[in-house]
Amino acid sequence: MTKLTQKVENLGQMTVQALERLGFAMRLFWDSFYWLIAGRKYKQRLRFSQVVKYIKSEGVDALPIVLMLALVVGMMLAIQLIYALEAFGAESQVLLAIAKSVTREFSPLITGIIVAGRSGAAIAARIGSQTVSQEIDALNVMGVVPVRYLVLPPLLALIISMPLLIIAADIVAIFGGALFSVTKLDMSISAYMVDSFNVLVVGDIMQGLIKSVVFGIIIVLVGATTGFYVTNGAEGVGKATTTAVVVSISFIVFADMIASFFLTK
Amino acid sequence: MTSQNHKTPDKVIEVTDLVTHYGTRKILDGMNFEVERGEIRVIMGGSGSGKSTLLWYILGLYKPTEGRIKVLGEDINQISFNEHLKLKQNIGVSFQSGALFSSMSVGENVAFPLREFTDLDENTIRIITRMKLEVVNLGGFHKLMPSQLSGGMIKRAALARAIVMDPKLLFFDEPSAGLDPVVASEIDDLILSLRDNMGMSMVVVTHELESAFKIADRITVLDQGKNLLTASVEEVKKSKNKRIMDLLQRRSRHDKLDPEEYLRRLTQENYTLS
Amino acid sequence: MKSDLINFEKDDHHCTLFVQGDVDLSNSSELRKTILSALKTSPLVEVDLADVTYIDSSGIAALVEGLQYANNHDKSFHLKRLSAHVKSIIELARLDQVFTIDD
Ligand SMILES: Nc1ncnc2c1ncn2[C@@H]1O[C@H](COP(=O)(O)OP(=O)(O)O)[C@@H](O)[C@H]1O
Ligand SMILES: [Mg+2]
Repeated sequence: MTKLTQKVENLGQMTVQALERLGFAMRLFWDSFYWLIAGRKYKQRLRFSQVVKYIKSEGVDALPIVLMLALVVGMMLAIQLIYALEAFGAESQVLLAIAKSVTREFSPLITGIIVAGRSGAAIAARIGSQTVSQEIDALNVMGVVPVRYLVLPPLLALIISMPLLIIAADIVAIFGGALFSVTKLDMSISAYMVDSFNVLVVGDIMQGLIKSVVFGIIIVLVGATTGFYVTNGAEGVGKATTTAVVVSISFIVFADMIASFFLTK
Repeated sequence: MTSQNHKTPDKVIEVTDLVTHYGTRKILDGMNFEVERGEIRVIMGGSGSGKSTLLWYILGLYKPTEGRIKVLGEDINQISFNEHLKLKQNIGVSFQSGALFSSMSVGENVAFPLREFTDLDENTIRIITRMKLEVVNLGGFHKLMPSQLSGGMIKRAALARAIVMDPKLLFFDEPSAGLDPVVASEIDDLILSLRDNMGMSMVVVTHELESAFKIADRITVLDQGKNLLTASVEEVKKSKNKRIMDLLQRRSRHDKLDPEEYLRRLTQENYTLS
Repeated sequence: MKSDLINFEKDDHHCTLFVQGDVDLSNSSELRKTILSALKTSPLVEVDLADVTYIDSSGIAALVEGLQYANNHDKSFHLKRLSAHVKSIIELARLDQVFTIDD
């Protein structure tokens, strides 16, 4: 067999594998909601304490780093936008530009990336090591549906906590912008904040929130899928963790682009 | 959770003409296998002969290519997913590696099925959990994490979790592998007393001869994905079958070698088993 | 109270519960409640297990809870006439050394 046919064959195999995993991820999503609704009837009920636990570890614990980066991004945007807008003598528009770009784009994107790095990795590592140690098989033979027990709770937790993180990130990023802009605009910080919220319309905020929910779903599904596909013991778990982060960030950026396109008229 | 004999069928497992593949590789090839109620059946066979695989299929972890599998009277590939979930509550499994949940203490591991499937209150769950740990001689160890346990303790904790729902049917993969002989023989005693006191039917995979002869009612020997022989301990000991004698004397078996195939295995870049 | 599972005889000092049939997840909570309420009113409760054909772990746990309650409240709790099945289950967990078992 020549090197070339070998390469083509490998590529083919990789595509098939990727499609298979995509299908698997879709199935996880569907099954999660099936068990959310049907769980009670078949003794597969969701535990609220589990969701609360994940909201804490995936949402609340991510808050400090999300807020810190939101603040920095807000300031950075102010610096760049003022510089760019000054060229047109339009510095006064910086408030509008920051408010819109933060809520529509930057806070969901930064939050998505941070949460992918934290939770995506954690989910892949947890499910991966449970796959390797046969804990998933143990759940299966007991009659506990692994999706209901391992995927649904973090999925719900992120669907709930992502929007909350976004709202917090929005406020702090705008505040960060204010810190730098107020001297240029000759405003007080509080007036800047109030004005920012006044220029925002519902659509701006919603765009960020919708994106964040989509990102949350991507993070959990990619993390879980990579975890369930782990082979090769501890080394495989390590690799899966990295893969989960890289793949989910890539998907997030793509999804962001698509969402921006369709949600921005 | 009921193991009343009058509700358990005479044959707890009926596997008929089972054919299974991992990918394209055929593992079980026309397997027939039956276990009667109250029996301790030991499955033996060389490493890689498909012992664990047979368990996985009986437990419904994979779908067979061909053949029928009935467990406790139900055809597991015919019943609905939800009926299968219910059926699984009557079955206990102790994995070769234990497969304890590493994020939970021993007590939480054992209590887990009770928390999932019953409405018992905490006090009752605690009592049942501690009682099962007493049965496997791990009384007082409920607070330890799995990572703090020795090999023998892991097997016993896994056994406690497997029997916590009072299953009718218990599967035990390699109970004594990697244990010192004293601990291994304690586990054998435990297996016997569980059957005698709770009336469970059991399928035990092992390659420890001594253990097999001690606990088995009948022994099934697997070879190349087939049921080579199912017979009582006495019959197995007297067997003149070459493969079985090899197994009993733990001699590695030398298949007749196909030199070309062998060379291909050694040299070909993309060799896969077919 | 009268049920298929439990009947009882009672006088001022003493209450005997006669359990029969299968005790499992579906009815062990009834056994537990009956034992605990009997212990509230009588200083000595005996549970007669001669006609128990099957008992699962939740049933045994109900008995243990009875003993726990009795010990905490200065009452007596005895088991009586164990059926062969009950006896083997109780011995498996070595509870024969914990309960007072009368003939
Ligand atoms: N999950 C799996 N995927 C692919 N091949 C497997 C898997 N599990 C086992 N095998 C292969 O199937 C054969 C039978 O394995 P197994 O049933 O574990 O044997 P035993 O338990 O008798 O040692 C072995 O060759 C093994 O490599
Ligand atoms: Mg094996």
